[in-house]
Amino acid sequence: MGHANPLSAEKDVLVDANIFFAIGHPTNPQYARFRSAVRNAGVVVKLPQRVIGELGGSDTERVRTAIDEGWAEIIDVPAPTDGDAVAASDIAMRTIAAETDQPEHEVEKTDAILAGLVVQYVRDRSTRGVIVLTDDQPAREGIKNAVTAQGYTDAISVYGLADIIGDDPGDSMRLI
Amino acid sequence: MDFEQVTMTADDRVRPDGGIDALDPPPTDIMDEETLEPKALAQNAPKLEIVMQLLNQPALTRVYVYVCYWGPVSPPEIMDALELSKSTAYEYVDRLVDFGLVDRDESTRPQQLTAEPLIIVEQYAPIVITPTVLHALALQEVDDDIDYFLDRYGTGKLIAALRGAGLHFAGKTTQRMVATDIDVRETEAMMIIYALQPALAVGREHDPFFEYLFPDVADQMELPDLDGADGAPAKSEPHE
Repeated sequence: MGHANPLSAEKDVLVDANIFFAIGHPTNPQYARFRSAVRNAGVVVKLPQRVIGELGGSDTERVRTAIDEGWAEIIDVPAPTDGDAVAASDIAMRTIAAETDQPEHEVEKTDAILAGLVVQYVRDRSTRGVIVLTDDQPAREGIKNAVTAQGYTDAISVYGLADIIGDDPGDSMRLI
Repeated sequence: MDFEQVTMTADDRVRPDGGIDALDPPPTDIMDEETLEPKALAQNAPKLEIVMQLLNQPALTRVYVYVCYWGPVSPPEIMDALELSKSTAYEYVDRLVDFGLVDRDESTRPQQLTAEPLIIVEQYAPIVITPTVLHALALQEVDDDIDYFLDRYGTGKLIAALRGAGLHFAGKTTQRMVATDIDVRETEAMMIIYALQPALAVGREHDPFFEYLFPDVADQMELPDLDGADGAPAKSEPHE
């Protein structure tokens, strides 16, 4: 419907848990749209263990459903130790602090660490490319800046939910 | 002597902006002889009682918000949109009319109902109640996530989450930061932020006091577009 789906089977897709909250319960039309975008691209989205763990586990219904249906999996990505990866997290943290008008120590580690995880993932697995999905605008900016600064713009791209399933027309939302 | 009564817990100090802060006592001169006139106090009392009723009865509040946002509407429209039985719809309308919150125009058939938006701002508490806030509370009637959150954390934290959700959709905070600010689990913050989206999307269009809650980011939020049906709420999904 007008928008090109940036997902492709050529690339690994790393997903922040908030995407699974943005699409709602498995009965939600948004959830169905996301699922078909992922399936149509021939992708199994990857949820970093670290993200899932910090969120309280994979038993949230919407995450569980995706794993059981075979279009999501949990992957174990090591904490960033590589110089580039650590630097990426730092850049993300500074960006998020600036975007949210908060001091750097107020930035949640998990928000910033995603940038480092992705850079580390690209280095360790030398894949053809990684797509990162997160529904947090400041976090997205943080990853973009980190990726650009560290010279990974060709290997890593960052999107939000609307880029995958289009803008929510609101027709699927129960208003009151 | 009961010391418990004066002990403030951190929960009492959660501010609508999500921060937790000790409250400055209000200056003594905000109350004067005029505001303390028994006559003035007597006039304010019914309003306070009405707000208490709304806060405690989400099903009733849901009808009020519907009439306030989409009025003039008729009782059958309320029944359809909110999936209420005829007797329940009329019972709620009657009570809202008795409270003086809803106006009933019986010169037409069917009767047409309208409601004035309500606003309460108390900077020293701090409390802000607008139709958007009432809408958020009323959503517990139809949204399990909001029902769970209210059950676990109460009204004050829901209002804090509402403010946090608005900041999130304006790109001014991350969901994990909201979780820390209002002291809930990260999954709970993510869940409630999306559950509150309807209150924000509708409030931005219909709540004349929306900017009291979001003076800084009212026009920056990325929210679903509602211009589907002209002013009429989208019908809920059909029952399975």
